[in-house]
Amino acid sequence: MSTTVMIVDDSLFMRKMLRDILEEEGYQIAAEASDGEEAVARYKEFRPDLTTLDIVMPNKTGIEALQEIMAFDPAARVVMCSAIGQESLTTAATQAGAKAFILKPFNPELVAQVLKEAEG
Amino acid sequence: MDMSQYKALFLSEAREYLKTINETVVALEQSPSDRPAIDALFRGAHSLKGMAASMDYLLVVEIAHSMEDLMIRVREGELSFEPGVADLLLEGSELIEGLLNDVEQDLQQRPTGDLPARLAAYPPRPAGTQRQGAKPPAPSPAVPEAEPAREQAAEAKTVRVNTELLDHLINLTGELITNKHRLLNIGRELESAPLNEAVSENGKLLRALHDEVMKVRLMPFDAICGSFQRSVRSLARKQGKELHFELEGREIGLDRGILEQLVDPLNHILRNAVDHGMETSEEREACGKPAKGAVRLSVCKDRDRVLITVSDDGRGMDPERMIASAIGKGLLTPEEAETLTPRQALMLTCLPGFSTAKEVTDISGRGVGMDAVATSIQKLGGTLTIDSEPGKGSSFTLKLPMTIAIIHVLLVQCGRFKSAVPVTAVQRTFELRRDQVQTVGKRQVFRLDEEEVPLLSLNRILGLPLGRFPDGIVPLFLTEAKGRRVGIVVDRLLGQHELFIKPLGRPLGKLPGVAGGATLGDGEIVTVLELADLL
Repeated sequence: MSTTVMIVDDSLFMRKMLRDILEEEGYQIAAEASDGEEAVARYKEFRPDLTTLDIVMPNKTGIEALQEIMAFDPAARVVMCSAIGQESLTTAATQAGAKAFILKPFNPELVAQVLKEAEG
Repeated sequence: MDMSQYKALFLSEAREYLKTINETVVALEQSPSDRPAIDALFRGAHSLKGMAASMDYLLVVEIAHSMEDLMIRVREGELSFEPGVADLLLEGSELIEGLLNDVEQDLQQRPTGDLPARLAAYPPRPAGTQRQGAKPPAPSPAVPEAEPAREQAAEAKTVRVNTELLDHLINLTGELITNKHRLLNIGRELESAPLNEAVSENGKLLRALHDEVMKVRLMPFDAICGSFQRSVRSLARKQGKELHFELEGREIGLDRGILEQLVDPLNHILRNAVDHGMETSEEREACGKPAKGAVRLSVCKDRDRVLITVSDDGRGMDPERMIASAIGKGLLTPEEAETLTPRQALMLTCLPGFSTAKEVTDISGRGVGMDAVATSIQKLGGTLTIDSEPGKGSSFTLKLPMTIAIIHVLLVQCGRFKSAVPVTAVQRTFELRRDQVQTVGKRQVFRLDEEEVPLLSLNRILGLPLGRFPDGIVPLFLTEAKGRRVGIVVDRLLGQHELFIKPLGRPLGKLPGVAGGATLGDGEIVTVLELADLL
């Protein structure tokens, strides 16, 4: 069975792009969420193998959502999506349990590589 | 990765972000320390930047990035959300909107000028000590972000449809309605009750179909609001006037064709309200009014029509002064002036060449424009009314049809021709006895509610032989031209009909006074008259 992924981003455009990249790589998109709160709820519902989590979002930031997801499932494998210039946030995310980071704008090959590593 | 497949999605979502940014800026002006709104603005610029970077639209990235940085400074408490910040953000949003249009039409991207630099260097002159050194405390402690979820609009279930296809659908529906009238005629001739019943049932279904199809052409009024906010704000700022600008009823739908035609007239009325209507803060306080004035643009539904009102609490207009000014300019004789009601006097502002402004400004000009405004509203099948109370303010109300293609008309006969006049342009119909028509000077008039209403012959206007009225009855309908009532005499009034209007092709479409053509149930072709052009 292929690896399931949940994509979290407040931008529909970003979710669509990431979905296309991941589906091309053979991942199965289990769910999408457009804010931090929805991300936590959907994670509990779908238990995806991997989650990509945007940082800047309404109704709970990505970092807050990450903390809640990790509290619910310490084995969760979450990859944070961040823009250039948000390096200061990576420390907080790593401490909260993020497995890896992908940078926006997405480079399809890099995204594939990072997700492969995060699968462990 | 082929990014062209994402262009349409990028454009539509980017525009939604811009809209949210504009609305949030305006909301923040009212409550500058609203933390969730500050966060939302920051996120809007941030998301735009990320999306544009993915599409490699670097100029958009540059502007969005500078806007984001400015918002970070506001969020950190380094800057307060002051008018200068709001202006720059709106300017940025407008520029991005322009860049998106360039992208959409594959044009060369317009230059961004010095805006990124001005965003980065805000405030323009180092304002004393507060740049690098000790930061003042943030306006409120960083609370977890929480705000109503209203940013999920992007996911609405929508399908993009070519407008040509839409117009084709509307055309077909119109043809069906025309055919219904033919069936009704046949049913009447055959005197078949079951047939009539089926046709009438069909008619109801067609009406429903028509309503649904027309709804597809509706767009929320919101679609044209952005430019109003910008122009009102920048004009007020320029003139040093303080005012609130309120918008109400953005969600109300109007036909996209009508919406497009409304931008200029509404902009003109709004600019007039700020420029001529609104006093300066000192003047206002001297008359015991709040220093900050209010301009409101509100949209509401009134059955199948839409009312758009622009009102202000400014100095208002004085009918007496307007009459005096019109007489002074030779636009009105003192005799004519005596017959004017106060409301008619206010409509003088729609006469070409009329202005009561103390000085001519480069903003709303010399009263040119209000006549154009009135004409374009009439062309849309709408009416304009003006109310005003000196010292209290004015309001301009536009009453418009929601949709355009199928309209109710008054059918009239002139000589051998049948013509149609939109009922929106008809106030009443009359059948006068000959002795009710009086001759005053060279003009024929009739008396109505203490007013002498001039009569014009539609036959004469159309270059047809004049009617003879063998049975001594003079049929006419009452309409309004340039703010005054006029009776239009025809040979016969044939009653009200529902017509599906089609534009006439070249060269007929160029004829002044003809709005389009339509086919009657019996196949006869009628022209739909544009009275505004004929009178």
